[in-house]
Amino acid sequence: MENEQIKKVNALYIFTYIFIPIAVSALCFIISALFFPKGNMAVILIMGPVIISVIWWIFGGKILFKQKQKKMEEELEQSGFKRNQTFYADGSTVVVDTENGKIAIIFFWNPFQRYILSANRITKVWVDDGKSGAGIIEGSSRVSFLFNIDDLKIRVNTFTSNQRWRMDSEYILTGISKADMMAEVIETARSKAK
Amino acid sequence: MGLLRKIGSFFHDDWCNKCQSQMNEIGRRLYILPMRVGHYYSHKDADYYKRNLIRVERKSDIPTATYACGAIHYWCPKCSNRIVKLSIFLPVRDEEKYEETIYFENGELNELFEK
Repeated sequence: MENEQIKKVNALYIFTYIFIPIAVSALCFIISALFFPKGNMAVILIMGPVIISVIWWIFGGKILFKQKQKKMEEELEQSGFKRNQTFYADGSTVVVDTENGKIAIIFFWNPFQRYILSANRITKVWVDDGKSGAGIIEGSSRVSFLFNIDDLKIRVNTFTSNQRWRMDSEYILTGISKADMMAEVIETARSKAK
Repeated sequence: MGLLRKIGSFFHDDWCNKCQSQMNEIGRRLYILPMRVGHYYSHKDADYYKRNLIRVERKSDIPTATYACGAIHYWCPKCSNRIVKLSIFLPVRDEEKYEETIYFENGELNELFEK
């Protein structure tokens, strides 16, 4: 298990996540057109699946990811993994055991697979403050810490925004601080694993 | 004049809250506040600081993503009042992200500077 290849994205999961609600909505639309062209049943068959699909796309993935993340944490505790630091991001959750030099990861787009690895598989750790522009437009809209496991780059965002913030804004500074901390913790685990 | 000085004292950190005279800075120290980024809770209770502050000599001694607290001790030459001002901040590389400033105006934290 420690040597397994990491997959950040499960294509089958993305496919079913997006297309099954579309397929169900289309099927209900066809049933409505063929058998219930008018009336309450037509409204239910057309609108119901569409509303449920939108709710699923907005909340379904998050709820599923939270459940799997919680399950992973329980399993880690039972297996003796010391959760010295846990970082919850939108796209993944990273748990580091600095005492035994291990790292556990679960990805939003691959929630059925969790990875527990020796930190010596990490080849590089760094922080990206997302700084761009110069002068008065210098700023960032994303801060992350990154690490390479074998040849795969994993980016974990500590701050994201749809607008640009000055580099000395409290959001950017908090994001950098969290990213620096995680990079340091991962480096500690890495040195322990060697 | 008295009213003006009272108003003025709102804008001056180093004016005495009792007689509105300018106070002298008699001590300045730096401490680690054992709270990490994302987990800051404001405490107004002096006992919390007495129990938890860890003195350090320089900013580089503060661990990454840990809060710091700069303490300044003021003494009023006119009425001998003593005030401790705590500035709580998160050091981030060369920058500082300020959280809050707390004044202890009744001698609650004077003992920090007596150690």
